[in-house]
Amino acid sequence: MEEMTISKGNRHNSEGTGVLPRAEIVHDEHPLSLGKTSVWNQFFQESETVEQIDRDVKRTHPEMQFFNGDSSDALSNQESLKRILTIFAKLNPGIRYVQGMNEVLAPLYYVFKNDPEENNAESAEPDAFFCFVELLSGFRDNFCKQLDNSVVGIRSTISKLSQLLKRHDEELWRHLEVVTKVNPQFYAFRWITLLLTQEFKFRDCIHIWDALLGDPEGPQATLLRICCAMLILVRRRLLAGDFTANLKLLQSYPPTNIDHLLHIANKLRGPIPY
Amino acid sequence: MAHRVDNEYDYLFKIVLIGDSGVGKSNILSRFTRNEFCLESKSTIGVEFATRTLQIEGKTIKAQIWDTAGQERYRAITSAYYRGAVGALLVYDITKKQTFENIQRWLRELRDHADSNIVIMMVGNKSDLNHLRSVPEEDGQALAEKEGLSFLETSALEALNVEKAFQTILKDIHQIISKKALAAQEAAGSGPPTQGTTINVTDSAVNTKRGCCSS
Repeated sequence: MEEMTISKGNRHNSEGTGVLPRAEIVHDEHPLSLGKTSVWNQFFQESETVEQIDRDVKRTHPEMQFFNGDSSDALSNQESLKRILTIFAKLNPGIRYVQGMNEVLAPLYYVFKNDPEENNAESAEPDAFFCFVELLSGFRDNFCKQLDNSVVGIRSTISKLSQLLKRHDEELWRHLEVVTKVNPQFYAFRWITLLLTQEFKFRDCIHIWDALLGDPEGPQATLLRICCAMLILVRRRLLAGDFTANLKLLQSYPPTNIDHLLHIANKLRGPIPY
Repeated sequence: MAHRVDNEYDYLFKIVLIGDSGVGKSNILSRFTRNEFCLESKSTIGVEFATRTLQIEGKTIKAQIWDTAGQERYRAITSAYYRGAVGALLVYDITKKQTFENIQRWLRELRDHADSNIVIMMVGNKSDLNHLRSVPEEDGQALAEKEGLSFLETSALEALNVEKAFQTILKDIHQIISKKALAAQEAAGSGPPTQGTTINVTDSAVNTKRGCCSS
């Protein structure tokens, strides 16, 4: 509707007989144009993305000096994260930047930057960028709103988790989803999109990612098994809980022995249900 | 939606917190439910959930508050969380004009996904940053009046008006529900409820897809 009005107005201008020849300003170059090829629209969208990245990078692991604070190291690390996310957004116009990508990037950058070999640490930014692109090639569909209802989107991934739980622990599945009506979206959305980075302490998260990235079944299948193991690990509390208690428990998952968690996840191997 | 196990409250009200990214929704929630504030809190992905039980007009009300992610991408997901909500706190940042301008978009979002009778309160947060203010309080007041919403400026950091905002919206919801219950009883020919009568509106008012005022 708005676009129609604008283009009508434009035609009117181009046909007008005013002093200034306005005919050369084509519709898409108008500063208020919402057209996809409009340079102005692109400019405004980009600055919005940069602002969002800036806001989120400042909120990445605020508890860690490495990422946060006024030290020159922290500031330089923040700049690196911002550059990586901005370039990724520019190279992937279909997704651009989605909140939470900062959390997925942080462990990669941290590991490269803390490489004991100084030469390696110096290349932390490009190395992290490369691995981030690589990692997201398997997970980027979760960030894509247009795919939410498709077979590769986040909802479908979440229902795979639900099926996995049903197969391995039907009693728990029934209690969670049928009796207490905890929609797995309410907790697993964050677990899966952020690859568990907000559920555990940073150190534990690195430990989990070692398993996630090293597993021959690939990170997607491994992630689902670990999520399922997380549910099974607190099954006794979940079975005793109501909607509120269960959702609170799963949204702030208790500190856990990671080796034990991975051991349980390891026992859940098998084809992913559809 | 909520599974009721304990009976230690009279009503359970689901409230959603919405508004642009970075306006302080999560801190409003943590201030209200845990009396905490975190200057640099992580961004919310998906939805976060907290509860607090309080007394409103002599009734025990359990407020179940859903904090949602602000970014556009998450709207499709968060729309599922509007289901059953009887109240919404629509938050903007008084230092960021854009977040105020987007209020209309959020209202449209509520109209599309929430119950038409949802009680909405508009909240201008970060009033402690008065020196950076870019939205005058009168502008907030005027828009609220135009849209028929209640309005308050808050500071989650200074714990200013956060409690009052929730008290106000919960009281508004409670009054609507009480009136509804009264009308229903009168319509049923049983007259106004006498003291001690249990008004069974919780299930229909809160636990179904329809909101508090749907008939």
